[in-house]
Amino acid sequence: MLASRVPAGLVLALLLVLGAASGCAVVSDGREGRGAGGGDLPRPTREVLPNGVVMIVQPHRASDVVALQLWMRVGGRDEAPDDLGLSHYLEHMLFKGTASRPPGSIDRMIEGFGGASNAFTSYDYTHYDVVLPAEHVRSGIELLADIAVNASFPPEEIDGERQVVFEEMRLLEDDTDRFLVRRLYETAYAEHPYGRPILGPRPLIETLTRERLDRYYKKLYAPANMTIVVVGAVTPRQVRPVVAATFGRLAARPAPRATVAPSVPDGARRSVSVDRAEKQAYLGLAWKAAPISGADVLAVDLLTYILGDSPSSRLNLAVRERDRLVFTIESGYGAWEKGGLVTVTARLDPVNLDRAERSILDVIRRVQAEGVTETERQRAIITAESAYAFDIETAEGLAKAYGQAETTWNLDGELGYLAKLRQITAAEIQAAARKYFGTDAMPYSARVRFVPR
Amino acid sequence: MMRRAALLVLVVLALSPARGFAADPVTRERLPNGFTVIVRENPLAPVVAVSLLVDMGTRLERPEQAGISNFVHAVMVKGTQKRSGAAIAERIAALGGKLSAAGESDYSEIRGTALARFWRDLLGLTAELALEPKLAPDDVPDERDYVLSRVQRRADSPASRAFDEFYATLYGAHPYALPVLGTRASLARIDHAAVVAHYRAFYRPERMVLAVSGQVTAGDVLAETRRLFGAMPGGAGTPDPPIPAPVFAARRVVVEAPAQQVQILSGGLAPSMDHADHAAVKVLGTVLGGGMAGRLFAELRDRRGLAYNAAAYYDPVRGPGALVLYLGTAPDNALRAEEALKGEIARIKREPVSAEELARAKGYLLGRYAMDRRTNERQAWYLAFYELARVGADYPERYRRAVEAVTAADVQRAAQRYLAAPTTLVLRPK
Repeated sequence: MLASRVPAGLVLALLLVLGAASGCAVVSDGREGRGAGGGDLPRPTREVLPNGVVMIVQPHRASDVVALQLWMRVGGRDEAPDDLGLSHYLEHMLFKGTASRPPGSIDRMIEGFGGASNAFTSYDYTHYDVVLPAEHVRSGIELLADIAVNASFPPEEIDGERQVVFEEMRLLEDDTDRFLVRRLYETAYAEHPYGRPILGPRPLIETLTRERLDRYYKKLYAPANMTIVVVGAVTPRQVRPVVAATFGRLAARPAPRATVAPSVPDGARRSVSVDRAEKQAYLGLAWKAAPISGADVLAVDLLTYILGDSPSSRLNLAVRERDRLVFTIESGYGAWEKGGLVTVTARLDPVNLDRAERSILDVIRRVQAEGVTETERQRAIITAESAYAFDIETAEGLAKAYGQAETTWNLDGELGYLAKLRQITAAEIQAAARKYFGTDAMPYSARVRFVPR
Repeated sequence: MMRRAALLVLVVLALSPARGFAADPVTRERLPNGFTVIVRENPLAPVVAVSLLVDMGTRLERPEQAGISNFVHAVMVKGTQKRSGAAIAERIAALGGKLSAAGESDYSEIRGTALARFWRDLLGLTAELALEPKLAPDDVPDERDYVLSRVQRRADSPASRAFDEFYATLYGAHPYALPVLGTRASLARIDHAAVVAHYRAFYRPERMVLAVSGQVTAGDVLAETRRLFGAMPGGAGTPDPPIPAPVFAARRVVVEAPAQQVQILSGGLAPSMDHADHAAVKVLGTVLGGGMAGRLFAELRDRRGLAYNAAAYYDPVRGPGALVLYLGTAPDNALRAEEALKGEIARIKREPVSAEELARAKGYLLGRYAMDRRTNERQAWYLAFYELARVGADYPERYRRAVEAVTAADVQRAAQRYLAAPTTLVLRPK
């Protein structure tokens, strides 16, 4: 989303405001990157420890750093009605301290090494990321194993963090692009867990207790739900004994996840209009599509690239350049474990809301009727190949691709992704457009409009 | 798209000491016409990045034509003598690449990326955009509407708006006060003739630096660069106008806007990137607001819950810098948060920082700097920017040594000098 059309000044301001200062970030809009395998790197080492912890190690020598990521099969979708928001609250609390690490000491240790940490919560997973100079790999693994089971939840830290989460809610509402995608998910998924706010409802966060948080943590933060990914200037021989001595010693126990029904295209059409303070309007349309392990995921992925990934995409050329109905337009595909959602979002003059929507739907009808060209198909594949090549420039980029694949999908699928993508035909892309992208009678799963007051 | 990161996920994960990067060979050449090219060979990933910087930005603009550097670039990407904007977009997508152009405060940039096997095409497109832009009269009003929509978007975003208002107040007559995108009034005044004149005045070889980083061979890239850019006519351009000095004024400004959060910014003018105090102010900013162990984050957010965003910013710039302490907080907390911020400023002027805090700040600062220079895109930019700013190719190493040499007394002196009487801006919900 921060690609070429955004001025660097704005990127900087957004990074300043959204990134640098926030201890965590909520992935609430499904635009997570699924890494694509098949590059020049050797196969990663993947081992399952006797207690169920999965270890993935990949040497990566682009610099003298190591990326360590703990991926948990715990996310917004695991929350019972009175647990809403707990996955995210836990994510905030884990770096606060453990039985042997007082509050503040974890941040001081990591930053003193010249390292950094971050953490993210989503519907299907939560992950804790550390990047360190490679010589500190042991300290990093010990830290992640410690916070995975020994978080101490000091009462005064829990109370202080409440205000931080409330601030995060306000911030989300002030960030129009993110808020639009959030509302699209809410509208498209309605009662399904993917429609919930990851941050939780305010009243539940107000009354959250240490006991509830601890119960949720003890229930789900079990070895069977953990994947530790280590990518950087290290070898599996170095990493294996450290992981065995830390994660390997955690007691095995059952950690069943909540059962979540797949969300399939259901023929429902939902629409909301929101009065907002901005002077410009925003339009979002969404279609339910294939989940990450679905057979159509590759075709939908290519279709999304062709529709709205770049200045040469169909929506940009037609709705922005030809019809001049929007200032910006793009598409995104969130492929989750239990469902997928394609979104198209645009910023525009309020007088153009109806015409822009018709123009977007025209573009889609045309793809459904006539298909895509071979040039478009090849360009989309090259775009995917390039995105992968740029991701693997950094250790943390690669670690994230592996962690996400292992957690919501599988590592082999990830490694074979590019090769399979190249085999998708133009006919398959057209078939996906027909299958998922609606009809004149049912043009979308969800529509959200932000209209200036 | 599945492979794109969410807005929020673009948090820069910082760190690691400055090692392991020096090994990649860097070649630099000045062509006879004054054009400079720098190539960094980096075999690790099959990608290439280019950054073409031009000495042209808001620092050389006047209020009545604010935003013209950026605007010229917005029109440039609409097409060349050979190709339409759409054709360029299709071509670059076929290289697995991206190409964009924008004006900034210290420079303007055309930047691009591609799969490394297409490096020659990427360089060719970059040169075509730089040297043969169409600058069609019809594109001017359309792009003006687009840039105006972005001006509006910034005004609607509480954080962007707060930073823009803060810089305007802090810098006064100095052009760093001007928004890079320009204003409604200035954009209305910039016509086709002004765009063409500005382009011609600034796109001169002696004002341009091209840096290329990636899986490429320096000899090939140099030869291609000579072929593409060597024919530009050199010679004397017009000298840069004198830049007005900022007028020092410690002020407190309150702005009201539709928002949920209150934004509080406080800070002062600070040294330029080549000033002797630069490293001390970098460490000062990091002690206060760098990372999660920085004082603003640890004290105001983590310990007292007075803010959600809590950070300090001090970017290296060619002219006078700005040290900005920033809080984003709830309306109910705003008064206490502002008092607490004042308290932190008073404390760092009064008491020397501890050895442990100083070491943490230096580790964090240098780690972040090293981390930020790992990708080819960032490397290309750093190489070109240091060349354009004329701080020398050894700047990273000199900067690292300067940071390591900073003492607690230096930090205290820097605080007393640069935070003597801070300017404050508060943006609160209407």
